[in-house]
Amino acid sequence: MTFETTTRLAPARPRRRSIVPDFLLPYGMIGPAVFVAFAIAIVPLTYAFWLSLQDWYMLRRPTPTFGGLINYKQLLQDGPLWAAFGRTWIWTIGTVFVELVLALPIALLLNRESAVARAASALILLPWVTPFIVLGFGWRFLLDSDVGPIHAFLHAIGLAGDSSILNDPVGAFAIIIFISGWKGTPFLVIALLAALKSIPEELYEAAEVDGAGPVSRFVHVTLPEIWNTAITVGLVLGILAFYSFDLPWIMTKGGPQDATTIVGIAMYKAVFLDLRPAYAAAISIVMLVLLFIASLFVLKLRRRN
Amino acid sequence: MRHRSAVREVSLDLITIAVLFLLLVPILWVFVASVRPETDITGGGLLPTRFTFDHYAAILAKKPFLIALKNSLIVGITVAIITTALAMPAAYALSRFTFHGRNFFALLILGTQMLPSLAVLVPLVVIVRQIGLTNTLTALIFTHLALGMPIAVWMLKGYIDAIPKELEEAALIDGCSRLGALWRIVVPLIRPAIIAVGTFAFVLSWGEYLMALALISKSDVKTLPLALQGLFDPYSFSWGQVMAGGTIIAMPAILLFLIFRRQLVGGLLAGGVKG
Repeated sequence: MTFETTTRLAPARPRRRSIVPDFLLPYGMIGPAVFVAFAIAIVPLTYAFWLSLQDWYMLRRPTPTFGGLINYKQLLQDGPLWAAFGRTWIWTIGTVFVELVLALPIALLLNRESAVARAASALILLPWVTPFIVLGFGWRFLLDSDVGPIHAFLHAIGLAGDSSILNDPVGAFAIIIFISGWKGTPFLVIALLAALKSIPEELYEAAEVDGAGPVSRFVHVTLPEIWNTAITVGLVLGILAFYSFDLPWIMTKGGPQDATTIVGIAMYKAVFLDLRPAYAAAISIVMLVLLFIASLFVLKLRRRN
Repeated sequence: MRHRSAVREVSLDLITIAVLFLLLVPILWVFVASVRPETDITGGGLLPTRFTFDHYAAILAKKPFLIALKNSLIVGITVAIITTALAMPAAYALSRFTFHGRNFFALLILGTQMLPSLAVLVPLVVIVRQIGLTNTLTALIFTHLALGMPIAVWMLKGYIDAIPKELEEAALIDGCSRLGALWRIVVPLIRPAIIAVGTFAFVLSWGEYLMALALISKSDVKTLPLALQGLFDPYSFSWGQVMAGGTIIAMPAILLFLIFRRQLVGGLLAGGVKG
């Protein structure tokens, strides 16, 4: 502190005066980034809300006119859309479930000091960092009924018939949920691993002194310590899953028979196939509201310290 | 550390390797399929009989694929440069100054990270169409800035926080301006992190699918993910070529993460990342 005041009080040399006054400098520096954030987040969200109140069916009129709640009224009666919302909840919860079930044992397995565990915790990131377009086509290849080795495996154990599992409505939805969870797993593994490594060794030693076995140590020491990380990261992954589009679109285009049409795909089709951008905007507003409510419930699951 | 027997460690290592193999085998299969002959793939055998670069040669001879490669490079490099150029001063301001609205701006930038592309897709498509930028790389570049910028700001701020203030104060006494100190003192010290966030922004843009799909339909402005889709030619379709194209898209992302893992993992955990 003294150091700073002395430099301010006694300017030994005349400092180069800048044109910008000092108090404006931080705004100038952060301004461009804030502008981008505004242009890409705040402006579109506000515009989506305005758009959702317009009556705009592009085949009938080229420009939007004010329609009040017309889109929301139609939306409430849109059966296929609510079916898509229903699928989206199954999709979201299913994805996070797969992620938790796969990630927790793997994180425990990697929470060691061996060279193999260290190398594995780097390589495990591969599904997370590989773009959806590659994974989508890769899995279509693996599940192809003519050339796919995983199809051959599923066929052998009776899960798939002669045609690919992607042609079966229930099978396609289930397998794409699994793939979605598989892609997100590494992120959760890395987060859980960080949480596991920060648990103080003394807690385990104390539990051991009290005569706790491995299972009891896991339930009473490990689980409470990683609980909040699992909830928070699970929520982040759940939000990403809720807003999925790439994987089901690339793999099945929402088919067969709408079986993999989650809301993201329904919204995309509303803009690009039905040419109803205002209606799609209303869908995106409803998504945002539902997600917000769901997030509040999930955050309630966090433990207080 | 608690003591554990060597046998136990080795068997856990073996389980780790087996689990890792199962998790990664779908991706490995894509790479393997890209370097084995087409007859090999359609034959359905598990082991490749021959190693070949034919599929790569075939797709690199296709004009639409080369155009897409060029477009993806233009978009990715521009996005990387702009992202870094915007994030660096923003991170510095958040780290070094206290000013009115600082927390609000920080929250706004980090909030953008949590916002999935799909949530702003409809309004962005309409806006882009109304200002006449559909089918331009400019529009795509602008939307791709949202992919990496928030995390870039966050990571760089962390690195700048770790630099002692005294280094810059010394430079300021010597007559350096604030921006001069940033450029001469801070930037050289965190160069690896700057390169990491720049490459990160490049990779996110390189593999991005949804915005490209929504904003671009003309073949001369398509990017690689869209071109890969175009390889599903009903008349001369080859799984090997699709897998080779997929490998070209996946490789930069995978290499980047293996090289910059240390710099990136902390930042990823701090902000989450768009899928």
